[in-house]
Amino acid sequence: MLPFRDTFFMIQNKWIFYLISGLVVAFVVLVFFYYVATWKKALSGKTNTNKRPNIRSLFIAIKNVFLGIRIFKDDILAGIMHFLIFWGFFALLIGTILLSIHEHIVKFLMGNIYIVFSVIMEIAGLFLISGTVIAIFRRYILKVKRLQSYTEDLLIPLFLILIVSSGFLLEALRIAQNPQRWEKWSFVGWYLKELFGPGVSEGAYPYIWWFHAILSLSFLLFIPLTKLAHTILAPTSIYLQNLPKEDGDKAQMEEEDSASEGSDKEAQLPQRPFLTLSHLIFLDACMRCGRCVEVCPSTLAGEDYAPRDFVQGLRAWVWQSFSSHGDPRLFTERSPDKMQRIWNCTTCRACLEVCPVYGPTFELVMGERTLAIEEGTSVPDLLNQTLERLYKYENPWMSSKKEKLGWIEEGSSIGFITKSFKPEFCYFVGCTTSVDPRARGIAKAFSNILRSSGLEFGIFGEKEPCCGDMAKRVGELGLFEEKKMSCSDLFQSYGVKNVVTSSPHCYFNFKNEYPQGMFNVFHYTQLIHKLIKERNLTIKKRLDFTVTYHDPCYLGRHSRIFNEPREIIRSIPGIKLIEMTHNRENSLCCGGGGGRMWQGNELNGTERMSERRAKEAKETGADVVLTACPLCLIMMEDAIKTLGYEKNLKVMDINELLKMAIDEEKR
Amino acid sequence: MKELKIIVCAKQIPDPEAPFSAVTVDSKKKEVKVDAPEVISPYDENALEAALRIKESSKAFITVLSVGSSLSDTVLRKAIAAGADQLVMVEDDSFGRLDSYSTAYVLSKAISMLGEYDLILTGRQAGDWDWGQVGLILGEILGLPTINMAAGITVRDGHVEVSRLVPAGLELVEAKMPALVTVSNEVGELRYVSRSKILGMLKKRIPIKKVSKGDLNLEPEFLNTMELLELLPPSDMRRDCVIVEGATGKEKAERLFEIIKQIL
Ligand code: SF4
Ligand code: SF4
Repeated sequence: MLPFRDTFFMIQNKWIFYLISGLVVAFVVLVFFYYVATWKKALSGKTNTNKRPNIRSLFIAIKNVFLGIRIFKDDILAGIMHFLIFWGFFALLIGTILLSIHEHIVKFLMGNIYIVFSVIMEIAGLFLISGTVIAIFRRYILKVKRLQSYTEDLLIPLFLILIVSSGFLLEALRIAQNPQRWEKWSFVGWYLKELFGPGVSEGAYPYIWWFHAILSLSFLLFIPLTKLAHTILAPTSIYLQNLPKEDGDKAQMEEEDSASEGSDKEAQLPQRPFLTLSHLIFLDACMRCGRCVEVCPSTLAGEDYAPRDFVQGLRAWVWQSFSSHGDPRLFTERSPDKMQRIWNCTTCRACLEVCPVYGPTFELVMGERTLAIEEGTSVPDLLNQTLERLYKYENPWMSSKKEKLGWIEEGSSIGFITKSFKPEFCYFVGCTTSVDPRARGIAKAFSNILRSSGLEFGIFGEKEPCCGDMAKRVGELGLFEEKKMSCSDLFQSYGVKNVVTSSPHCYFNFKNEYPQGMFNVFHYTQLIHKLIKERNLTIKKRLDFTVTYHDPCYLGRHSRIFNEPREIIRSIPGIKLIEMTHNRENSLCCGGGGGRMWQGNELNGTERMSERRAKEAKETGADVVLTACPLCLIMMEDAIKTLGYEKNLKVMDINELLKMAIDEEKR
Repeated sequence: MKELKIIVCAKQIPDPEAPFSAVTVDSKKKEVKVDAPEVISPYDENALEAALRIKESSKAFITVLSVGSSLSDTVLRKAIAAGADQLVMVEDDSFGRLDSYSTAYVLSKAISMLGEYDLILTGRQAGDWDWGQVGLILGEILGLPTINMAAGITVRDGHVEVSRLVPAGLELVEAKMPALVTVSNEVGELRYVSRSKILGMLKKRIPIKKVSKGDLNLEPEFLNTMELLELLPPSDMRRDCVIVEGATGKEKAERLFEIIKQIL
């Protein structure tokens, strides 16, 4: 006899099962429609940005769903847990569907196919149960810090354990009544069957069958009502978040413009014009895993902020404001309070780097800031003053335009770009590098390096506007647009083709927030790297230092420039580069970005972000901590002073170190 | 509830918070120049903020009134963008150097022209000359109860309640409206006014009333301009930052002491 099994063994009225299944599926679909309806309302009046389907992001989504790449990252146990649950659940779901096909459409689960099927189902059941046990173990016994414990966090794993065990039980009862030889491939049931005599199994079987069936179906009901919604929403979020970027600001500014023109339109406008569909899906896909909390420099420094809490607060607000029948989630954060904490984030992007659903929390924070800036009353005083200064004096510091020349050393011949002097490269010094006494070292060193390379370059000096980065990060989009215009106009009127910046912030801004293709932009590390490779720079001196390198957020994570700085450092003979615990895309923010440089101390927690980073640098035992950003340079310098590390640890910009190595004279 | 009519007097001045290096003192023309757009005097901004906060809790109509020469509506529009309802600019070339009494006199005439009001708010002093007289003289001319140095203002059934700065702390005083209050920075900084709001104002038609000298029936005998005898820049405006290095605190202190000795 061919191995097979009777799908509805001993079960009457199977139509009831199909009826309930139908109802459950209908309910799940309906609730997801309710999600969509709510998102639509939150987006009302907004032109949906037309994003084209994209293979790369589809690939990322598939990779993440099936392999759980991001979940394995830095937490193997979590990765194993999710892998087991995902594959167990997925296989059992497919298996159940296959059984129905076998029953009603084509009979194919017979013979060897049936045996393979049985084995896979056994393994899937074991996967699911062990994954779930690990989940409970991590949350309640290991007490992994980043995990919260809401009711659903216990309910869901218990439910799963119950479903799988009742499934195995059922199998054992079935086999006990008719122990065919091939059933030993259903090995769990095969072993368990010993527990029951045929009499017991016959009586109990239908009851257990219905129990298992109803339990499984009601589990499906929970999908849209709990964090399990991520089973559908996470893949969607991952796909959407990885689509090529659209110019969101421009859309928002246009929205606001048209809103201020007609008051009828205003009524229909969403109150959060920065929210896009992908943001909304991300908010609902977030399953509170807390990975973002673990890497957020603000949370780590003991500040009263955590990206997850912000996300959950904003999510609560969306459902409170736009849903017609309330929040479908049974166990969740209902208070939007935590979304008020909008000034802590440094926009360092560390959260996005680890978020399993690729949630750009900082984008949402920046969105909230645009509202606060427009509203005006909750803008912190210091920020208020800084923005005024940025508008009046083209820099966020207490400096005049005149002071932008202060870094130029006497006797050094730096060319100013004019109508008749149009060098190959425009060196965009940047506000901070121009005026801050410490950061000026970058400009001094870099201009010297450029000169020794023979590359033709010039600066705009007093005429150089602010690139607008700071305005953009704190949500002052109007001011940012003005700055963008000043820069673009200036570059255009002098025919600037290549721009090289000191600051990763200017670089990122020019590269990503300015009209594309107007000019080429380089960060100095890229240009120097090129100059060294093409042998236009000769390194003359050996420097016997041990150094470590701090990746600036806007150079590393945001611009993916990790190797050039390291290669420049390694090209200096004698230098030994050691990495800090957090390096490359896992680098830890110094706390200077996102406008935090100009925020007061009220936001500070138990420790400064920069001090955490400085401590890490110290632990490497390096003599010098190198960086490639004026803000990092200032922050790290301060931290090292306040911590009293000055004697053993110096902070330098890569330029400053390189200049030492190419200088002829003894230092 | 009746709509409160609030008048905020605002002076346009060169930025008093300008970085040193942006300021030039022209001794010949006897002028201070700042390489930046002019601003509303900071204490007057505090007065505007006080008015806006009153407007948040009760119905109010806020008029911002400015007297001076070469007033710029791009500067003063900020007040409208912040939430004021009307801007009145009283402008004449001769108003550039009015003395305090004359300024208060012109303001009083303009206020009478505007009609009824409940509350007049001014900054405690202007950010350029820092004399602190105009508000009080204005109260005197208009015959109003006048409270200076307000750190907090609330309005309740026809009265204004002011917590007022005194050397020992605060005192709470009340006056029947109409009244005049001069406002100190403790009231709070003017809310942030975004660039897009200000630029939006440029596109919109906003209520600006321009008043000329002739409209006010001013008696020339009360219009005195002050004469600047001399305007001198500080002899050295350079600033520098030296970080005193040293192995121990004592060593650093000794070096610092040496440096101070050299300077003095
Ligand atoms: S961008 Fe950085 S600072 Fe902001 S929430 Fe994410 S991890 Fe925290
Ligand atoms: S935002 Fe992302 S990383 Fe943070 S809790 Fe939600 S899913 Fe996890």
